[in-house]
Amino acid sequence: MSDDRRFESAPWVVLGVAVATFVGWAAFPGTTLYTQVLTPHRLLALAAVLKLVYLLAGTAWAFACRDHLEPDNPARPAWFLLSLGLLANFAGQLCLAPFQVFRNETPFPSVADIFYVLAYPFLIASLLVLLKAYRESGFPIGSLLERTLILAGVGALAAVVAVPILTPVAATGGPLLDRILTVAYPVLDLVLLLPLALLLRIALKLRGSRAGEVWVLILSGIVFLCAGDIFFAYFQSLGETHLDPFVHATFVLAYGLVAGGAHRQLQLLRS
Amino acid sequence: MTPTEAVDVVVKVMAPYIGDTMARSATEAHCQKLGITGSAVSTEQVDALLGKLGGGLNIFLGRDKSASVVAEARQALAAREASR
Repeated sequence: MSDDRRFESAPWVVLGVAVATFVGWAAFPGTTLYTQVLTPHRLLALAAVLKLVYLLAGTAWAFACRDHLEPDNPARPAWFLLSLGLLANFAGQLCLAPFQVFRNETPFPSVADIFYVLAYPFLIASLLVLLKAYRESGFPIGSLLERTLILAGVGALAAVVAVPILTPVAATGGPLLDRILTVAYPVLDLVLLLPLALLLRIALKLRGSRAGEVWVLILSGIVFLCAGDIFFAYFQSLGETHLDPFVHATFVLAYGLVAGGAHRQLQLLRS
Repeated sequence: MTPTEAVDVVVKVMAPYIGDTMARSATEAHCQKLGITGSAVSTEQVDALLGKLGGGLNIFLGRDKSASVVAEARQALAAREASR
């Protein structure tokens, strides 16, 4: 393997090891590794740092992509909105990090939630602008019937999955703000899934190409982001805190994939 | 050169950037819209086709890279024509 190739794959190896570590924590919490070496406090701190690094890198790379596109390029606002969405998530994570690193706790709700909620309009707008850019490009995005069927299918699937998951979440006791936020995240994710489904269809047509690689990474990152929010809502409301490592693994993977996609796009624009 | 041959040449150049499936469906869709269906493709039709494809590639590659891919496709088409 060449030095360049090794350098390219190193961040993916780090991401894979990190995700495996968190999944291992959830699966084997009682082993010596996780009680003596990688203690819950250390892993929470590690998750906080990794999320910050990936979110900051993703923000910077997405903004650089926007900078490399011409002012009249229809995809330019999409990259800007994506960078704002990642920046809002970074700000949220930055609010939580001191608690997680120094006090081994994750306050909820907190000021971080303002930023996390704020990220959604940016992410949703980013995907919608991107869809509009594809349509204007003259590249095929499927017939109206095809798109309607995809949206109806995703909507129906989301309802089938969300209702049984969110019903116990909404029904649990606790402060109203907690419950509103716990339900709001997955609901916002489901809204995010609609343009995402249409873009995934386009990304599949790009498979095997450099642009396809970019969009598969970014869109799968957003899928994991949605999954992380749903896991969070479910585990949080049901008090299943021993499953938190899955939430960390999902978010670290989500942010890592989105950052990786933005980096690949930047490489493509610079090539 | 026939439209089918032109499509094959353009798709081969664009495929590494946007994939074989997207390259083919985009090129065929533009050919249809531009009325490139006869037995031979004219220089004007090639220009119009590459102009449309270049505009679409901008979304993925930016203007400079897109222009270089279009230039590459133009060269490949010219080489194909010359080899006939």
